[in-house]
Amino acid sequence: MAAQALASAAHAEGGYATAFPFFGAERRGAPVLAFTRIDDKRIYRKTQVYEPDFVVVLDEGLLETVNVVEGLKDGGAVVVNSVRSPEEIDVGIDAKLATVDATSVALEVLKRPATNSSILGALSKATGIVSIESIEKGIMQVFGDRLGEKVGERNAKAARIAYDRTVVGESHGSRVLKASNKWLPDVRELPMGVAGISLDTDAGAVGPGSFLENKTGSWKVFHPEYDGEKCTMCNFCWFYCPEGCIYRKEDRMEFDMDYCKGCGICANECPAEAIKMVR
Amino acid sequence: MKLKELPDEELFTRGHTACAGCGAAVAVRNLMKVLGKRTMVVNPACCLLIFGATYPYLAWKVPFHHVAFENTAACATGMSRAMKVRGKEDTVVMGIAGDGGTADIGIQALSGAAERNEDMLYVMYDNEAYMNTGIQRSGSTPFGAWTTTTPVGKVKAGKADFKKDMPLIMMAHNVPYVATASIGNIQDFINKFEKARNMKGFRYIQVFTPCPTGWRHDTAKTIEVAKLAVDTGMWTLYECENGKVKINRKPKMTPVSEYLKVQGRFRHMKEEDVRKLQDWVTSKWEADERYAQCRQ
Repeated sequence: MAAQALASAAHAEGGYATAFPFFGAERRGAPVLAFTRIDDKRIYRKTQVYEPDFVVVLDEGLLETVNVVEGLKDGGAVVVNSVRSPEEIDVGIDAKLATVDATSVALEVLKRPATNSSILGALSKATGIVSIESIEKGIMQVFGDRLGEKVGERNAKAARIAYDRTVVGESHGSRVLKASNKWLPDVRELPMGVAGISLDTDAGAVGPGSFLENKTGSWKVFHPEYDGEKCTMCNFCWFYCPEGCIYRKEDRMEFDMDYCKGCGICANECPAEAIKMVR
Repeated sequence: MKLKELPDEELFTRGHTACAGCGAAVAVRNLMKVLGKRTMVVNPACCLLIFGATYPYLAWKVPFHHVAFENTAACATGMSRAMKVRGKEDTVVMGIAGDGGTADIGIQALSGAAERNEDMLYVMYDNEAYMNTGIQRSGSTPFGAWTTTTPVGKVKAGKADFKKDMPLIMMAHNVPYVATASIGNIQDFINKFEKARNMKGFRYIQVFTPCPTGWRHDTAKTIEVAKLAVDTGMWTLYECENGKVKINRKPKMTPVSEYLKVQGRFRHMKEEDVRKLQDWVTSKWEADERYAQCRQ
């Protein structure tokens, strides 16, 4: 929706724009991609964007797992949702980089960590490709149309606040990024009845139980804080956890932050109030 | 089996890509704990397939078979008969599908397998819409609920029809075991799966699993919503064992509006629609209760 709002903002300034998401799993918290193409001429190209001018990263955690600057043009800019300053962030190359704590802005204004509208304000400040006034208009049009005028207004306000708080700077890359394309066996190369066996490949485990390789801990905004004193060992949180990342130990529960998605069920259901969700 | 006796080992591992607060994930990890290692899973297209088995990853630690949308029960039939031929009758063959794959698309294969009394356990996790493809209405979607195919507009607002009573349809097949469960009622949930594991013949369990993404409620409230559904009577917990029906939990008959107001999908509902739904819930509970008395 933010990609559409940006396209709508560019359109409001008299340009042409297209916006579309990456086709794939639409699941909350899972890494997703969306593209916007802006031009002052009519746009005929329909492909995904492989060499972007600007990259917007909604979750700082992605910097660890995805090479976000892949294909970024020389002189391009990166916008990251982070509490850190641009100089502290290392994306692997020297680039113009802007940061804003969009999660805090969203929690203040929208009362929920929906950062996509606020980050548009940061994009506007960092790149100047569209003005903040047009961004507000674009958000009002797209969000307001779908979710009601009040929601649109609130999201536009979030973008404006993020615009004011954005810090633009330079970042110097020194980190060596891991190659993201790892070899995986082709389905035809797998032995028959592969469902029954576990394989270790260059790209990690394949087969039963291999989802353990997929650390989902980066999805969360809030994490549970556990107070062992209050805990009565009722095991409710252990049963109710969708991830299975709460482990039963002899006299306490243990929370595995590598996998916790921060849903908050454990804190909500704990009868002894021994679990609190904190940022 | 009590909650504290459930094994620690996860046969459906963490790291899966379900949304935060997914009710289906709660149901699946725990039912696998009850069923144990000697289980074979047959799974058609649904959320569970995508978040539990995306190449190269697999969250299941038991034999897992991905089948087409409509033939879960047919494939499970083949697998259970093969197990019989090989003398491995202690293996539980479990078909697990969402409400779309059960109540709409998979119902012909399911009805056939139930009528033949095949030796399998069929689990429907009921999240009340086609969530995986982006929240489209299914036969199991309740009255008034918003989905992308029952949008809220000036002429119509939300689904105009009532929820399909799948457990009752299954009971009409005269199978050994039909039960409804909810992830909010732990002991009841464990009892039913334990009972089903130890039985032979066709067994059907429908688990109520709230979906924070599609129902538009806070991810932390998944269990709360499941409990509210039971308290209001939107979801009745009963079981039918060899033709004898037993109500496991009487609803408190909390006003249905309590259940509706925590979910964004019912936000648009007018008072008259709420009243209509309340009437339906009341009469459904009365019917269930009378039905249970008749078949004691």
